[in-house]
Amino acid sequence: MFSILSYRSVVLALAIVFIVGCKEEEYQVPLPESGLQNDCIKKSNGPNMLGVDIEFMYAIAIQKGEGKLVSAQVEASIAGAGETYIDHRSYHTNDNGQDIGVIVTDPSTNEGLRTKVNFSVDTNAATLRFYYRPSLESVDKEVSFVFSATSSNGQTVSYNMGPYKIRRMERALNIGVADGQRSFISIEDMKAYTAAEAASRPDAIDLVYLHRTIPGITFAHALIAPATDAIYRPGLTLPTGVGRDAKIFKAWNIRDIQLEPNVTGNNTFVYLDEEDFINIDLQAAPNYAINMKAQSGVWVETADRKYRAFVYLNSVNDAGKSVVLSIKRYRM
Amino acid sequence: MKKYAYTFLLILASIFLSQCSKEYPIDEDGLLITTRTSAYVGSFEILGSDFQTVRTKVAVVDTVAQTIDVEVHFGTDISRLYPQFSLVTDAKLEPKITGFVNFSNLSSPLQWTVISGDRKIRKTYTVNLTVQQPTP
Repeated sequence: MFSILSYRSVVLALAIVFIVGCKEEEYQVPLPESGLQNDCIKKSNGPNMLGVDIEFMYAIAIQKGEGKLVSAQVEASIAGAGETYIDHRSYHTNDNGQDIGVIVTDPSTNEGLRTKVNFSVDTNAATLRFYYRPSLESVDKEVSFVFSATSSNGQTVSYNMGPYKIRRMERALNIGVADGQRSFISIEDMKAYTAAEAASRPDAIDLVYLHRTIPGITFAHALIAPATDAIYRPGLTLPTGVGRDAKIFKAWNIRDIQLEPNVTGNNTFVYLDEEDFINIDLQAAPNYAINMKAQSGVWVETADRKYRAFVYLNSVNDAGKSVVLSIKRYRM
Repeated sequence: MKKYAYTFLLILASIFLSQCSKEYPIDEDGLLITTRTSAYVGSFEILGSDFQTVRTKVAVVDTVAQTIDVEVHFGTDISRLYPQFSLVTDAKLEPKITGFVNFSNLSSPLQWTVISGDRKIRKTYTVNLTVQQPTP
């Protein structure tokens, strides 16, 4: 008797749970909050450094009946370089996943620590993009941001972001070098020079690009230190005074996306950071790298040990005897 | 009843002990010592500091003369090379390769010993490394 009652009770309880559990709750459209609202995210990834923008997306909105957007500004704890700006467009994503920009403000202005825009259209919602270009002053320091906006009803909102450490690294992208032409590379200047130019700045030349086709061996594209043994720089006449040494260490499969920012495809990319430059052991490295391929690179340490750098070959041109390379440099 | 229980326990203990008594010998590296007596190198690879092959062609492994002849590209940094041996099943190599190896002294080729699975046969291979040179 007891077991029958118990059984019935359990079945009944389960049925109740099932019915209650399946009760559908009707979706309700969230009510927008009253007053001026804002939100912010950091869009860019990877180490923050000179020459590379830190990108933010700042969203501001107020209900239509309450007012419209008047202005927005970002105050950095350390003034950015001149390239710092707020894009005067508001972005949204279309059905194809593309960012669509609509002009909503006047061009931004920089005044000391502040970058500011005034809205030029009647709008009550916008997502602005802020690009902070680290200045020399910010290197090795942390920088923070206060995003703020005002609306026509006199309200003000703000949003804090950071702090973000600015690394002691720099980069130079897409430097074209060609054998016998602009082939003398300076890590100090992060530029390539012709022989005549190199002669006027011999102490800054760390690498020489050359391309050779030699029967019996595979030489092709090479990066060598001017002081390397003559057998690794066949047919090369060094300009007067150019003769610095360097540590050069071949590397493969290190594709830093900050050295190839516009790349597409399924390649795996990494971010080289300060720790990589600090920890790499180049003591036993030779002073030449021969037979280099596209998307390979070399670690370099200058003779004065002032800099360590990663020189990445974006592309090579066998027929043209040239390469396009990018440099990420760390000041020791 | 108690008597049967003791008997049962005794049988269980016997089974347990007999299961554990079988020994699988291992060597000083913790590797299983087997009955295999073969000790030879199947193939050989050599990588540069960028972990890419630096061979100009397939290395020649002579299992009779116990030599490996390999030519590397001109300009290879032979002070930092990573040799890789493919060995017959259960064999092991001595000395162990734990990182880059310096081949700079070309007049004194480096040697590695292949030890068979039963750890009784030892065959020493000499790696003769040459650097590709321009055609005169």
